[in-house]
Amino acid sequence: MGGACSRKRDQQDDDDNLQRGFSGRYCKSGSSKWLATSFSRSLIDVKQGLGKCPSLMELCIYKVCDEIHKYSTFSMLPRDISQLIFDELVYRQVLDDVILEAFRDCALEDLNLGEYPGLGDNWMDIIASQGSSLLSVDFSGSDITDSGLSRLKDCKNLQALNFNYCDRISDNGLEHISGLLNLTNLSFRRNNTITAQGMSALSGLVNLVKLDLERCPKIHGGLVHLKGLTKLESLNVNCCNCITDADMKPLQGLVNLKGLQISSSKVTDYGATFLRALRKLELLNMEGCPVTAACLESLSALSALLYLNLSRCNLTDDGCDKFSNLQKLKVLNLGFNEISDAILVHLRGLLNLESLNLDSCRIRDVGMVNLAGLHRLKCLELSDTEVGDVGLRYLSGLRNLESLNLSFTAVTDVGLKKLAGLSCLKSLNLDNRQITDAGLAALTSLTALTHLDLFGARITDSGTNYLKCFKNLRSLEICGGGLTDAGVKNIKDLKTLTLLNLSQNHHLTDKSLEAVSGLTQLVSLNVSNCRITSAGLQHLKSLKNLKSLSLESCKVTANDIKKLQASDLPNLVNFRPE
Amino acid sequence: MESDSGKLKMKKEDMVKLISAEGFEFVIDKKAAMVSQTIRNMLTSPGSFAETEHGEVTFPEISTTILEKICQYFYWSLQYASFYIEVILVHIYIGHCSAHSGKETEFHIEPELTLELMMAANYLHT
Repeated sequence: MGGACSRKRDQQDDDDNLQRGFSGRYCKSGSSKWLATSFSRSLIDVKQGLGKCPSLMELCIYKVCDEIHKYSTFSMLPRDISQLIFDELVYRQVLDDVILEAFRDCALEDLNLGEYPGLGDNWMDIIASQGSSLLSVDFSGSDITDSGLSRLKDCKNLQALNFNYCDRISDNGLEHISGLLNLTNLSFRRNNTITAQGMSALSGLVNLVKLDLERCPKIHGGLVHLKGLTKLESLNVNCCNCITDADMKPLQGLVNLKGLQISSSKVTDYGATFLRALRKLELLNMEGCPVTAACLESLSALSALLYLNLSRCNLTDDGCDKFSNLQKLKVLNLGFNEISDAILVHLRGLLNLESLNLDSCRIRDVGMVNLAGLHRLKCLELSDTEVGDVGLRYLSGLRNLESLNLSFTAVTDVGLKKLAGLSCLKSLNLDNRQITDAGLAALTSLTALTHLDLFGARITDSGTNYLKCFKNLRSLEICGGGLTDAGVKNIKDLKTLTLLNLSQNHHLTDKSLEAVSGLTQLVSLNVSNCRITSAGLQHLKSLKNLKSLSLESCKVTANDIKKLQASDLPNLVNFRPE
Repeated sequence: MESDSGKLKMKKEDMVKLISAEGFEFVIDKKAAMVSQTIRNMLTSPGSFAETEHGEVTFPEISTTILEKICQYFYWSLQYASFYIEVILVHIYIGHCSAHSGKETEFHIEPELTLELMMAANYLHT
């Protein structure tokens, strides 16, 4: 049975939280969740291939789920089996309070019911009946209330509890879980009511390893109750704008912390001084905090630091020399600060750097020489900087570069020649008006490219000939207005494309849709602001994987697309005009 | 069907005997039986099981009906993996011998057997 039996209790890892913006995993809108689910199933199906034989256990589980209403209880089954049935029902999105009744006293271990439609306090009776077997529960985004939560009191072995986005759980609810001493993971993101007082219930949860309080706006003063939780390795209070310097003080004893996320809080340089003692800290996210480079005085004591996010802070060049102490750093994000290329000299010794983000900083060519020795760099973000052709010269030796963003820089076709040897490059952003066909011609050796963004570049039909070299391309954007149907013909053999954006090329007609009709892997297609008509839609019938279609400002109505969706494109979920 | 089975070279070492709770015996290809991870372990782990030597495994907890269904699954699973097989299901008790070429694509499970079959599948790692 293998894979069918393995269950993941730890659903999110730290990396989730590092992405800027909203992950979407726990968003309240049901529809987009099911979109994500259906997407992952189709991926699984593809991965397993047709040759994979279902196990007898899988066949039995499917059979039981097909006829679920015939069963009134599964309590006589071994718990592994009832767990598998339960998981399949969750996966099929068919679980309701009637079906749930069959799982009373089944000794289930994991109930991953995040954002489950219909989940409320009336389910808690069955959930609690799993008793001491229950190890993890996720009821994010549900209508569970404090009294519902109180039902978990006797599930003493609970290790992981997740109630993100549960608006009805308050301080009183937390009181009910204060006796769950085996909890290692606790998460209640975006709770608008929990206060410092409620947080006192956490003070006895001495086994907590991971605590996630992202977007809880009223927890100021509550972190003091975490003082004794010395096993804590990960604390996330991102986007809790109530968190201040005073909240940092109680953290200084949490010497086992490996990950601390305090982005968009009010923590200043003074607050950072309390973090000095966290010698095991590997990850620190202070994005959007009002700190200056003076905080580096404290942070340079964090010798284990691998990941540091200081984007959108108040850094200036002054004080940035302390970066040179962070020798282990692999990922450094300094985007959107008032810093210049003068600080790059302090980064030249950070030989472990794999990712550097300088988005929208005042980076000019002259300081770029200091990056030339960072041979482990895989990802370099220079968008909205003043880097030009001279600066690119220093990148030509960075053979491990996989992702390079040069959008809105001063780079021209001439400079792109310097990139020709970067054979690992997978993602290249050249959204920039100075780039033309000649620049593209210089890049034909970059055959590993999977993502190419030429959004604003002035690419014409003749330039599209060079695209044939990029046989692994999965996403392509050319929206500079210079393409005609003839150019789109050159794209038709890029069979691996999943995303294609050809909008703003006003001359494109239905013939272009015909040309892309063979790109059957396409998941997203945008041909807005072109001369597409409803008659051209017939060419899209073959694009069975299409989930998103944008034909804004064309001679196509929402009804035309709806018809196509109904007849041929069952996977289409987003379309414009709508 | 008798003539078919006569043609087949039934080498003893290629076959294995599975015995149900009621004492019914199913003689099937070793290759088929090894679809079950549990049986595979029994037949291949050196010395530790008497089953290895005699090519015989008794399942005191699995009824005849269920064991028969499981044997059918073993062969279904083989043909699913595009093996060319000749299936012999020798049901010793009634002396019946059937052969089928296994072209069906869906494995049928009788609703009344599902739960019991599931427990056996769990035990047999199948």
